[in-house]
Amino acid sequence: MTALLRAERLNKSFGGVRAVQNVSIAVPEGSIFAIIGPNGAGKSTLLNLLSGVYQPDSGSLFFKETHVIGLRAHERVRLGLARTFQKIRLFKQLTLLENVLAGFHIHQDLPLWKCFLPAGVGRFHDEAHELLAFVGLDARARDRAGALPYGQQRMLEIARALATRPKLFMLDEPAAGLNAAEVDFLLKRLENINKRSVTVVVIEHNMDLVMNVAQRVFVMDHGVPLFEGTPREVQANPQVIAAYLGGEFAA
Amino acid sequence: MLVAIVIVAALPWLITTPYWRGILVLCAMNVLLALSLNLVMGYTGQLNLGQSAFFGIGAYVSTILIKTYGWNFWLAALVAVAAAGLVGVALAAFAVRLRGHYLAIASLGFAVITYQVLLNWESVTEGVRGIYGILPPVSNTVGLFYLVAGIAFVIYALLDNLVRSPVGDTLRAIREDEISAASLGVNSAVWKAFAFGLGAAIAGLAGVFYPGFVGTLVPDAFGIIESFTMMAMVIVGGMGTMIGPVIGAIVLTFLPELLRGFGELRLMIYGLALTLVVLFMPGGMVQAWIALKNRLA
Repeated sequence: MTALLRAERLNKSFGGVRAVQNVSIAVPEGSIFAIIGPNGAGKSTLLNLLSGVYQPDSGSLFFKETHVIGLRAHERVRLGLARTFQKIRLFKQLTLLENVLAGFHIHQDLPLWKCFLPAGVGRFHDEAHELLAFVGLDARARDRAGALPYGQQRMLEIARALATRPKLFMLDEPAAGLNAAEVDFLLKRLENINKRSVTVVVIEHNMDLVMNVAQRVFVMDHGVPLFEGTPREVQANPQVIAAYLGGEFAA
Repeated sequence: MLVAIVIVAALPWLITTPYWRGILVLCAMNVLLALSLNLVMGYTGQLNLGQSAFFGIGAYVSTILIKTYGWNFWLAALVAVAAAGLVGVALAAFAVRLRGHYLAIASLGFAVITYQVLLNWESVTEGVRGIYGILPPVSNTVGLFYLVAGIAFVIYALLDNLVRSPVGDTLRAIREDEISAASLGVNSAVWKAFAFGLGAAIAGLAGVFYPGFVGTLVPDAFGIIESFTMMAMVIVGGMGTMIGPVIGAIVLTFLPELLRGFGELRLMIYGLALTLVVLFMPGGMVQAWIALKNRLA
């Protein structure tokens, strides 16, 4: 399999803290790729480097054959990278529908002058409703996003990011704070997204989710890569068990 | 909308004294100014205290072109609106990394600088001496009111369409969360410059009609206090709604006039009323009205 996203020796420090050190990953096209590690391992910093929220101090990053270092977050979205945030960042005062409609921004082709004229519902109206239905929220399309319970806010953020029509979808701890039923729903949605030939990168603490959906798992600790392999290999690796999993997954 | 047009058309028949007809013209200008600031502050979420400067640029550029260079009013108006809009884009480009309080201070600084330029560049602006004998584009007050009110209606309709369009979704997304908007591919610098430029152009358009209405032009009409008055109109009416700032502009144009009977106490009562509105109706009059309707229903 070819790599859709390839990072080589990425480094990022904040002051004296080396948050990400010499991290190289290759995300196979069409896969579900998990990044795990204890709190403070540098997972979110890595995702911020991949999505363009931060620029690395050194290293290179390729999306397909395009070198994306120096491209800012909004520019990378046009290449097909989308993401969600660990701390949910919805447009809370806007309705669910407006949140998803904003996600179609890069696909809008209405000339600016036409926006000053009366118009019916926009081109992406139906598609936005479909995305809301996909995450089980279409019945609440007219409600304010801030009024949703936590778990549904996470699902709305996923629907909004999907509106950009990503090739690579990166999620930062999507299962955090969800109950068992919600995790189950999330898991099914992730598999469904993946089946639509979207490559998925997921940062996660929830081991059930990682072990169930991921084909490759990348483990990091204290900003450095620890191990990479299949979920089974990760569970069996003594280094990983010592650093992170503890006794929970030791057979 | 139709009801509003009929009421506005009937106003000069209901209000017959020249003084109050003048206030009507002023009110139409204030509606334009409130609409312009609401686009930047209410919809795009950018705290902008420089709006008085764009108002002034529209007034001075058009007047100087007419008085000094003998231009036709409408041609001068076009250039003045474009000038205000371009300065707005330039300010946004300069302040692109600033948000919240920092943007407020930068835009306030811009308003102060513009005021000082109007005051001290005497060879062009005549400074405190002022420019006299400026004629309005239509000679009678009622005609001028219809003209400015008509323009306000057109601008309202255009902006109302804009905020419902995909551009409106993008501007509100920037207002709510810029990092989140960037994660959807929104280049917020470009769209902020768009909102600033369009808002500045509309404020400049209001400025084009001001000198002819008053007959004279002095820098004091465009001091920073004007920026705060516009902000008060937007907040009191209800920012981020289309109708709110219009109501705010109407109320805050007529309230000080109605309070003239109180003499020295006038400004105190005005200030107290503003404070009470902000304290008890933080969403402005439009939100308070909606809340009241919901409670009664």
